[in-house]
Amino acid sequence: MKKNVYVYLLLLPGLIILLLFLAVPLFSTVFRTFQGDEGLTLTKYIAFFKDSYDRGVYIRTLKLALLTTLIAVILGFPTSYYISRVSRRVRGLYIIFAVFPLLTSPVVRSFSWMVILGKNGIINSTLLKLNLIEEPLRLLYNEFSIVIGLVYLFLPLMIMSLVGVMENIDEDLIEAAESLGATRREVFARVIFPLSIPGLIVGSVLVFTGSITAYTTPQLLGGSNTTVLATLIYQNAMSLFDWDSASVVATIMILTTVFVTFLINKLSSRLNA
Amino acid sequence: MALLSLKDISVAYGKNVVLKNLNLDVEKGELVSLLGPSGCGKTTTLRLIGGFVEAKNGRFVFNGKDYTKIPVHKRNFGFVFQNYALFPHLTVFDNVAFGLKQRNIPKNEIKKRVMEILETVGLKDYADRSPRELSGGQKQRVALARALVIQPDLLLLDEPLSNLDAKLRVKMRLEIRKIQQEYNITAIYVTHDQEECFSISDRVAVMNNGVIEQLDTPQKIYNLPRTEFVANFVGFENFIELELEAKKIDGGFYKLKNSQRFKVTHFNGREDERYVKGAIRPEEIDILNEGGEKETNTLKGIIGISTFLGKHYQYVVETEVGRLLVNGSAHKRYVKGERVTLYFPEDKIVLV
Ligand SMILES: Nc1ncnc2c1ncn2[C@@H]1O[C@H](COP(=O)(O)OP(=O)(O)OP(=O)(O)O)[C@@H](O)[C@H]1O
Ligand SMILES: [Mg+2]
Repeated sequence: MKKNVYVYLLLLPGLIILLLFLAVPLFSTVFRTFQGDEGLTLTKYIAFFKDSYDRGVYIRTLKLALLTTLIAVILGFPTSYYISRVSRRVRGLYIIFAVFPLLTSPVVRSFSWMVILGKNGIINSTLLKLNLIEEPLRLLYNEFSIVIGLVYLFLPLMIMSLVGVMENIDEDLIEAAESLGATRREVFARVIFPLSIPGLIVGSVLVFTGSITAYTTPQLLGGSNTTVLATLIYQNAMSLFDWDSASVVATIMILTTVFVTFLINKLSSRLNA
Repeated sequence: MALLSLKDISVAYGKNVVLKNLNLDVEKGELVSLLGPSGCGKTTTLRLIGGFVEAKNGRFVFNGKDYTKIPVHKRNFGFVFQNYALFPHLTVFDNVAFGLKQRNIPKNEIKKRVMEILETVGLKDYADRSPRELSGGQKQRVALARALVIQPDLLLLDEPLSNLDAKLRVKMRLEIRKIQQEYNITAIYVTHDQEECFSISDRVAVMNNGVIEQLDTPQKIYNLPRTEFVANFVGFENFIELELEAKKIDGGFYKLKNSQRFKVTHFNGREDERYVKGAIRPEEIDILNEGGEKETNTLKGIIGISTFLGKHYQYVVETEVGRLLVNGSAHKRYVKGERVTLYFPEDKIVLV
């Protein structure tokens, strides 16, 4: 019996590192945002949401993250279903293709979109050549380009999560549904979709969290009037040296992520019933 | 005309030809089993009928219509899978109701029919359970109910009982047979369990290597197999080469390799062939006592290895025409090296 106690000692180094480098800084960051002149207070948060600029940034970030998640779901579902149904060998190949964007740095990935969407980029020059437009479209440095960049960045996470669940759906279930009169589409709606919900939850949470905290992509593909929360934190901390405000924004970001994760979970189990 | 007929069906997976010009006719209301060793193509045949695999050539005619190219969801065939394939996200009720909802049947009608069929399979009280909370036998019954409730034109069952223990298998096969007859459903049943197959079927198709070797009643398959493969499969373990000498009204007279003579009284269609094999089960061969010699249908032999099988001893006996398996009474054990005379009753030999 006594021996078991020593086993826990093995956890100690890891625990110390986690506490020291993760829990303590996180807690102290969050804690100081509630500190006022006389005890705990929410004044800093009230101030954040009263400020129309800050509120605007918050709503924009939320909107972009939700939009990215939604698009990733719509694009990810059919792709994942297809990948999960091909033979095991081909599947490996497709997955490599799908995660390929993850293998380069976000900076490189954003730059490649700048090349595509820019004033003299591929899209504009093609459209100009075809005489479909008279002058280049403004495709870059707006919310549109940020969403494109984020979807490109995080779609692999959605696909990986969905494929993981979908490849475990037994072929027999699909055949059983078909034998009971379901067309391919009905099989998808009545069997595949409900059984994929766990993957949908994981994928959505990953994409949403990634999008709401993204810094590089909005920085490179967005413009001066498309500031997001991560940029705001950076500005507050590094340009204005206002660490308190930066902490407030960071805490809001964390709480929002937790809340939306919770919502996605709730919504999904509702869908399942 | 048969309700279902497969005409010269061939199926291949890549280069591997699995069914070779297979023909099968099934009448309405009949339960036909596909029996055969592992890998002979039983499941493939069933899946072809269900529409899950495509024929390379040949036709599948059902109820006078060409079904070869009809998609699965339009066939209205009930399919019972070996591992049940119940939808894990649905309750027992919703599993059974799946096919009815697909057919846009009014809600109260669905409820009535689902509860009715659940009553038939004895699971009325389990409607709200999830498949996870059921035993193997109960899952099997849900799978059966789900396939039956759509009033299928044909019921296809792929080794539906193979995941159950021996006792439950016997109980369930009786239930399946009862329901099939009650609803007058035409069914095709895949199994590799002989007893199960014989007890449940109107006719049995014994398959080997992608072809049907014999399609007959269970009694005929068991007693009068027509090919060496079928004979071997149903327990005829001894094959003796015979050459026809004379055919008379009461039987055929054959010469063995060692010039011994055999009379065979069973006629099953092979009696006009000059060279055949006489098949006989180990338990049908008698070991004669000293002095009990007969003129025909005997062979001398030497006892080899013996094994105790409970009801009897089984001996390997070396004879002039080869090694034979013979069962003897459990009361007397012959010892190794003992010389014996074997008697092959004329009505127990089957020509293959
Ligand atoms: N999807 C497939 N791809 C390639 N070959 C297959 C496939 N399914 C079956 N086969 C091959 O076809 C042959 C017949 O298979 P089938 O499943 O019909 O046999 P079976 O009679 O049902 O056997 P068992 O009693 O073991 O279930 C086997 O040799 C098998 O290896
Ligand atoms: Mg099989």
